[in-house]
This record gives sequence, structure tokens and C-alpha cells, in this order.
Amino acid sequence: MKKIATIAVAIACAAVLLTACSGKKTAKGGAASAEAVGYTFGEEKTFHSDNPVTYSISFSDASWYAMQDTWKTEGVFKDIEDVTNVHLDITSYDSGDYGQKVNLAINSGSATYIIPKIYSEDQYVAGGGVVAVSDYTQYMPNFTAFVNKYNMGPDLDTIRQSDGKFYRLPGMHQAALQDYTIMVREDIFEAAGYKIRELEKDWTWESLHDVLVGVKKYMVSQGMCKESDYIWSDLWCGESGKGQGGNLLKLMGASYNVLSGWAIEGSNGGIKYDWKKKEFYSSSISDDFKKLVTVANSFVKDGLLDPETFTQADDVAHNKFYSGKTVIMSTNRSQMANDIAGVQKILGDSAKCYVTAYPSGTNKNLAETSRLECGVMISQKALDELGQADFIKLVRFVDWMFYSKEAYSLCKWGPEGKTWEWSTAANGAKVKKLKPGFKCGGLGLPGADTDVDIRLKWGYAGGNYFYGHSTEESTDAFTPEVQDLYARYGKYKTVATVDPKAKPTEDQREQLNLWAVPLIDNINAWTLKFVTGQKDINKDWDEYISSCKNLNVDKIVALTNEIYKKQ
Amino acid sequence: MEKTGVKVKETNGYIVFKWFNTIIMLIVCAVTLYPFLYLVAQSFSSEEAITLGKVNLLPIGFNVETYKSVLVKGEFMHAYKNTLVYSVLGTILSLVFSCCMAYPLSKKELKGYKVLTKFVIFTMYFGGGLIPNYVLMMKLHLINRIAGFIIPSLLSTYYIILMKSFFAETPHELEEAGELDGLSPIGIFIRIVLPLSMPIIATMVLFNAVGYWNNWYNAFLYLDKKEMWPVAYYLKTVISGASTSADPGEATAEKMQIAANIKSCSMVLMALPIICIYPFISKYYVEGMMLGGVKE
Amino acid sequence: MFKKKEKIAGTELSSSGGMKEFKKYMRKYWQFYLLLLIPILYYIVFRYIPMAGNIIAFRRYRAGGSLFGQQWSGFKYFKQFIGDKTFWRAFRNTLILNISYLLVRFPLTLIFALLLNEIKTLWWKKFVQTVSYLPHFISMVIVTGMIRELVSTSGPLNQLIAHFGGDKISFIAFPQYFNPIFVISGVWQALGWGTILYLAAIAGINPSLYEAAEVDGANHFQRVWHVTIPCILPTITTLLILDIGGLVGSGGAFEKVFLLYNPMTYETADIISTFVFRMGLGSGNYSYATAVGLFEALLNLTLLTIANKVSKKVSGSGLW
Repeated sequence: MKKIATIAVAIACAAVLLTACSGKKTAKGGAASAEAVGYTFGEEKTFHSDNPVTYSISFSDASWYAMQDTWKTEGVFKDIEDVTNVHLDITSYDSGDYGQKVNLAINSGSATYIIPKIYSEDQYVAGGGVVAVSDYTQYMPNFTAFVNKYNMGPDLDTIRQSDGKFYRLPGMHQAALQDYTIMVREDIFEAAGYKIRELEKDWTWESLHDVLVGVKKYMVSQGMCKESDYIWSDLWCGESGKGQGGNLLKLMGASYNVLSGWAIEGSNGGIKYDWKKKEFYSSSISDDFKKLVTVANSFVKDGLLDPETFTQADDVAHNKFYSGKTVIMSTNRSQMANDIAGVQKILGDSAKCYVTAYPSGTNKNLAETSRLECGVMISQKALDELGQADFIKLVRFVDWMFYSKEAYSLCKWGPEGKTWEWSTAANGAKVKKLKPGFKCGGLGLPGADTDVDIRLKWGYAGGNYFYGHSTEESTDAFTPEVQDLYARYGKYKTVATVDPKAKPTEDQREQLNLWAVPLIDNINAWTLKFVTGQKDINKDWDEYISSCKNLNVDKIVALTNEIYKKQ
Repeated sequence: MEKTGVKVKETNGYIVFKWFNTIIMLIVCAVTLYPFLYLVAQSFSSEEAITLGKVNLLPIGFNVETYKSVLVKGEFMHAYKNTLVYSVLGTILSLVFSCCMAYPLSKKELKGYKVLTKFVIFTMYFGGGLIPNYVLMMKLHLINRIAGFIIPSLLSTYYIILMKSFFAETPHELEEAGELDGLSPIGIFIRIVLPLSMPIIATMVLFNAVGYWNNWYNAFLYLDKKEMWPVAYYLKTVISGASTSADPGEATAEKMQIAANIKSCSMVLMALPIICIYPFISKYYVEGMMLGGVKE
Repeated sequence: MFKKKEKIAGTELSSSGGMKEFKKYMRKYWQFYLLLLIPILYYIVFRYIPMAGNIIAFRRYRAGGSLFGQQWSGFKYFKQFIGDKTFWRAFRNTLILNISYLLVRFPLTLIFALLLNEIKTLWWKKFVQTVSYLPHFISMVIVTGMIRELVSTSGPLNQLIAHFGGDKISFIAFPQYFNPIFVISGVWQALGWGTILYLAAIAGINPSLYEAAEVDGANHFQRVWHVTIPCILPTITTLLILDIGGLVGSGGAFEKVFLLYNPMTYETADIISTFVFRMGLGSGNYSYATAVGLFEALLNLTLLTIANKVSKKVSGSGLW
């Protein structure tokens, strides 16, 4: 009855509501017969359209450097228009809601042509709302050049869908950038007799455990903390980790070949690829996992790591570290400077923080393996409205804007001479330097209060349009401290090869998701219970394994292998 | 309540009760006031004090940086202006049209009364969902318009049901008296029912005003242009910005200060004006509103 | 069950003199229908038309494709969650949390309203009222932050326990504590604000009724029991019925649970809306979410209807 009524209403509504365009398959990217008429393009050549043209673009507007009119009248958007003759029609959404608003726009058929800053495009694939951009990369010289030069092929494969195409033009890095790591209070470690810079060269989580035991003993003897206190309270594990054990377990897990913490999301139950056996398996029920939780639990058991780390808000850990109650905490590239300065502000100059290349486990791998990052989608609307020839023109513009060195430098630093100039560094290398009178929060280049911030005023160095590139370019604004950290990563850590991906069809993906969500819930619950000591790793291990088996872990593994074999 | 000259002697039980009541009220006040004062104190405290956990009921390291950073920006005042406009307009329209629906529905003798009530209640449970609603607003060209913000929240079935129930309580004799006097139904409503229903009307004004005031969801969905944002949404973006700023080396003291207490500052800025409204409305809750209408 | 489109009945008149009676009726009542016109239009356009979107519970919907989905999928999505024991756990939790909350909050709000009403000193009454409303204005993000601080191992609650010699417990990590934390904090936040309606109802009571009771020799408590409560009974029953009609709903509690739960407490904390959220995270599966929504709505509507019938039998008043 209700169904009939609903249908009746739906028919009645058809007259009022025009249906959004139904999913159309994109035109097959055949041989490009259209010559580049009316515009110039090419590898490391400036894109320029003879006639002015307008493209709509979404923009993720961060409230701490909100878009100003000056960006359009004298800043980055004007520069782009001057150089390319392309006017960007900007639809901006607050960065906190960007993903949802884009989702809404695509779902309602009102998306802009160009959609940058997209992290996950899987949900848009089947609906036909976005173009299978892999069909058009043949028209993108800069993109193709980068792919060839740095061998991005296998990485791009990880974002291909079951139809063999990919739907997002990802930001590409020459080398994976590890953002998150562990930071310690060097001064306290030193006082307790541990030279962290030496230790860091080949330490493991287990050796860290012993070091921390020593540090705590020292602190208790000095009256800096009580025996019942914890000296490690971490962030990004509770509230913002959404209870998956977040960052810390991701870092630890990677060293033991286990996908845990943040890394388990989207993994369908910790699925990894065994290169020796050439098949997929679930790292969450492996012996590696047992090792991981045992090591993690050892920190909690011995009074070092506060178990509330896994349920608390980030602020709590942050405050404890800044006030000197704890001596070790996670940090990342953005927060590092804040943390170091913040601690010194509250505790004085003697409180020195050191950002380490975090410990290893059974391997020395960094947790980050992907060289891809968020990217650009192009909406189907663009293809429909522009037609094949003009769509290719749009694609070439996107190629210039997101993949050419010229655009990268323009968007990140501004035009040469206006905001920056070449200078020579201490080691003789040629580096970019902001001209006097300018500073840039986005690049980590501070200045006087009277200096003009090139990001606030003109929109350079924003997060929407320069992602990924060669290491030289990505790091051209790194401070010496950060560069030193990355050098140490290079020396003490390794980068694992990225796992291949099984590419499910729509139905298979749905089925995997149905199984995976309860399974991952269960894995997370047990992981946290093991680590915090609520459950005994040895006694309750079998119960854990059988609970996972009851939740279809074997079926997921079997299906994943089946899909991959057929690929 | 004791209006006539007859003074009833208070029983001992009643005196004990009054003391008991006062104690309970004191506990309630403590439990509800303390967290609020703590948040207010935090909003005026320095970042170090907050980090070190020193703040309690009084601000430590008195600091108005965060307030300054928000208030100084023209956008905030503009957003405040928007909120005022939306709230006033929205409340008036909501009240008018809710009454239009609630009064007829309070008349059980109205034909179709049951069907209509069900018609309205049904919508409390079945909705269109995010996307159909968005598409509808899009097709009606209501995106980025004031109407786009107000219309989705214009009529609340829950409130209409409540109002209907209150209107139904108006004594029939009074309405009949109005009929005899030659008043039309609308006239009866305006001149007889409405004045007697001041408590519920005041309540609905309060609920609707607070609802529009705190609403950020409609802005998030339907208002893309920053100039149209109400304060609730604007502050929400500021908060999410302060906590997710992912820029290397932006270690300005100002930024850290803001991140430390932007949430409590926002709360104060949002809550204070509305809380101040209540005293003006509370006079409608005085008992005996019916007194004027009772025929001797 | 419900005839949505039937607005003006007017057809169930007695057969004798049908047209004349109709005209007489309309002469008297036409203004009521005029008043109803715009609101009804609003409901049709802004509430009923979007309902067509619910069709995607029976069709496969793809983001970016047609609004109404692209092919029929029958009851596939319903089968997906009906056969999922994790869903039923979420369902059970939703019921338990909502019922616990109702059982505690409902009587407490009423009692608190009556107690408030007993305060004779006007300034004190206004002060207590205003202060009791404050928690309503604190955003859920802040409230859950405060809750966590309160029950953390270094927080005041545990300090109290340690003071009396007990062991500190990390309350937020154990499923058995979620319910009390949820209910108590909910009552704290909603108690004051919830009294407003009762106070409005009490304000509408005819004072002559109290005087009559006084004359009859009723003491204070008897006046409350025999005058106040019966007079506000319609309000009480309306609110109760509406609350019962929300027992299977979990949308309102989403933000709170989402900010307070973690995998260790999913057993008791995971409610339908948070479960559906995790289900849809990777896939944007609106069809699934819509199917669950319809299921919730149907159950709630049934509960509401039953509650209404019972209320009419017991107290004579109901929603319709």
C-alpha cells in the first residue's frame, strides 16, 4: 500500500521535478582527431587559450585563510587568467564541509567542471557523474611525462576500478611523504642517560619500551612524576582516530606488517598481499597481529602508555605534553613547529623536543606507502556541455594547472619577481626565497607582523592546487629541521612496495562492504581490548580468531583472491 | 496563587517541603551553572592556563585574543546581522503559519480533522532525505536565498501538534460567546483564543527563535555564499578551521590561543543573546492569564 | 493506512439534504479551510514531494546518476540489514538507550516543572529557570568533551572513587557504563529546557480551580494532585505519545553517540544511525540508508499509533 502510494506520488512529482541526468557512459577516448586549435599546450609549455574561456571549479575554502576578493583581482586567480586566458568560475565550500558539499553537488547534478581536493572517488564511479579520466590522460603531456619519469604506473593501478579505468587525477609524489612520527623530550631522555639521536638509528618498539622504563625510573626518582602516572599519552588515537587506535597503531602496525589503526579503514579487514605466496590474507588474524598487540600492550602493562590514549580527545594528550606531564607524543609535519615552540613557551627554553624517525619492528618500513594523494575529478557535466573537442581543451588546461612545473610554482609561490626570487643557500644550491616584506604561513615561512602574507592576501600556497610533484619541488619550502627529518627517514627507514589492489565490481564491492564493516568493528574492539589489557592476548586469542571467522573474514579473503585472479 | 484574603495556614509538611525544594534547586543550579561558568572562564583565559588545566570558575591569564580575532572580522558582525534577520523573520512566519494550521486542527468537529492530523504527523517520520530535499530547493531556485534558509524549518509538526493541543484546551463557552457577538472564526481566534494562549505562543516564539538562532544545518546545505551565512554556521567553520589547520610552521602565538578556546568563545557568543531573551518572555508564564476571560 | 491527499472530506454527510447541509457547514467553517491552505501547500511541496526520493530504497541508487535510482532492486537492501546480526545489535541498543532515557527523563522533567512552580519568590524562580536552561545551549561537541573529562581516569569522578578507596575505572572504555553516561548526561542537558512546556501549561490553569480546592479544604499537595496534574494531563499525554513514537529513531542521538562511543563500547553504544553511517562510509550507499530509514519510520509510526490508542482509552485524550 505504501509502495503504491509512493509510486503514485513519484509519478505525480515527475511533472514538478525534472529528473537529473541519468548515468551516461563517457565517450570512449578514441584517437584524438581534433588538432589543438585555438590554444597552445604541451609538456612544460604554457597553456594559453586564444579566446577567453570560463571553467567552473570547486574550491575548498579553509577558514584560517579564507578566500578574499584580492585573490581574484590581483592574486592567484588573476595570475592564472593572465597566463592562460582561462577564467575560473569558483564555487567555494568551507573546507570542513567540502567533501559533503561536493557529494551533494554531484548527487544533485550541479557539480562544477573541475573538482579538486578529492580523496576518495569510489562512490562516484558507478553513477556516471564523473568522467573516467584515464581515458583522457593521453591528452595530458605533463601528467604523462611525470608518470613515465617516476614510474607511477603501479601506483596508478591502485586507483583503477574494475573496468580498468581510474576516475581521479591524483596528486603524485616522486617519493612517499611520511607525515606522522614520534616526538620526545630530548632533555629528559638525556638526563636519564639516553642519547636519543644515537638510539634512533636502529631502534625498535621493544627497545623503546626499555628506554621508557628507564626514563620513567629517572623521572620518579627526581619527583617529576608518580609511579602511578603514565609518561606517554598520545593523540590522534581516541576521538580523532574514531576509536580505531588511530595514528599510533597505524605506525606500529606497519612495522609488523599489519594494517591497524587508521590503516584498517577501507582495508576490508586488514587485507594485505603476501608477495611470497602471491595471495591476499588478513593481517588482522595473523601472528604478526599477535606480535603487534603484545608489543603495544607491553607499554600499557608496564605503566608507560596511558590506555586512555585510545579513547581521549586530542587536547588531553596535547596538554599533558605541553605541561610536562608526558615526555613522548606523536606529531606530524604540520604540528611539529607548534609543538616544539609550544613546549618551550610553557616550560622554558631548556625543554627541548626532538622529532624522531620512529622505531621499527620486524621491518623498518614507513607507514606511508602511497605516492598518490588527493586529486582532481572532472564532472560528466563538463563532457556533456563542452563536447569532445572542447573537453579535451579543458583536460589540457587541467594538465597544465595541476601537473606542470610552471603552474606548480605559480600557485605555490606566486610569479617570480612579485613575491619571490632566486637565492643561494648555504650549501650553494639555488633556492627560492620570499622577497623582503613577504611571509607565508602556508609554507612555514614566518615573517614580521608588517609583512604581507602571500597566502592570506593573494591565495598562493593554498591547499587546492598544488599537490605532489618531484621531491625537489615538494620540499622547496621545508625548513632545515624538516629536511633533516626526511634525511633521517632516508637513512634509517625503508619504504615498502605498495600492495596490489583487487578491483571489485559494484556488486562485489557492496558485498565486501557488508561483510567488512562488522568485521572491522570487531577487529578494532579486540585490538583495543588487547592493547589496553581488557582481554588477555594469550588466553583469549582463540576467542578472537573465531569471532573474526564468524564475521566472514575467510569469505572476504577468498573473494578478494578470486577477484584478483580474474583481473 | 493565594489571591483572596483567606490565608491558609501552611502545614508543617509544606514548610519542610519548601526547604527541601530550595535545596534541590540549589543543587540543580550548581550542576547547571558550574559547567557554564567554567566555559565562560575558559573563553577569557590564556592558552597556557588552559593547557595546564588551571582554569576553574575564574579566568586565569585574562585574555581576549580569541574574542578579538573573531569580533574584529567584518564577517562575524555581518553573520550576526544575518542571524538576526533570519531569526526574526523566521520566527514571525513560523508562528503565523503554525497557528494557521494548529487552530483549525484543534477543532475536532472540523471535517477532515483526523485525516489532516495524520497527514501532518506522517511527515514526522517519512522524509525525503538529504538529496531529494536539496534538489527540490535547487529547482525552486531557493539556494543562496533567505527563503532557502527559512523555509525548511518553517513548520514543525511537533510544535503544531503541541499548539493544537493547547488551543483545544480553550473553554468552549468563551468561543461561543465570541460567536454570539458576531465574530468570524478568524476573529474569534485573534481576539479570544490568542490572548488566552499567551503561554504557548510565548513558548513557540522562544522555541522557534532559538531554533533559527542555532541553526547551522540549513546554511550548510543551502547557503553557499559566505555573505549569507548566519553566525551559527560561520562559527562552526571557524572552529573546524582552528582545529584542523594543517600548515607547517604556523606557530603563531595567536593561532595557538585561538585553538585553545575558540569553542568556548563561540558558545558564549551564541548563547548569551538568546539567554537574555528569556526574562522578557517569562512574564507570559505567570499564572492566571485566563482571569481576564472568565465571565462572572 | 493513511490517505495523504484527501484534504477536504465533506463527503461523509448524511444522505438527507446533503447539498444544503454542506453549504451550511461550509458557511460556518470555510475560514478554517482558508487558514489551512498555505500550510497544507507547504507540506505537500516541501515534505511530501521529496518523499518520492524514498523510492531508492527499492532501487539501486548511484551517486551522480538518476535521482530515483537506476534499476529495481526490490527488497535487496532490506534483506541486507535484516540478515545482519550487527544491525540487530544496533537496533536493540537504540531501543534500550531510548527507553532508558525516556523512563528517567520524562518523570524527572515533570517533577522538576512542578517543583519549579512551587517557588514563590519571583526572582529566585526566574534565576533557577534561566540557569537550568543553560545546558541546552552548550553544543554537543563541548558537552561530550566535558563528559569525557569527567569520567576519565584522571577526572573528578575517578578522583572521588579513589578518595573512598576504590579502583579507578576508565568508564568510557567499557560497554556497561555507556547507558548510564548517556542517560544521565542527557537528563542534565534536557531537564531545564523540557520544563518550559509544562510551565506554559500550568500557566494556563484557571486559578478559580485552585480557590475552589482550597475552599474544599485541600492542602498544598492535594491541590497539585487534584488540580494541577489533571489540568496539564493533555500536555503530558501529548508529549508522552510523541516520545514513544520516537523510540526506534536514532537520528537525534547520532552526534552524541558518535562523539562518545568507540569500538570497545559498540556492544551497547552502537545505534542504528551510527551503524548505518559506518556502513555507508566507503560506498555512499544511499539506498541502504534509505531502506533502514523506512524501516525505522514504519516501526515508529506503529508505536505512535498504538500509544495514541492506549492513551485515548486510558485518559480520553490523544493526538487524533
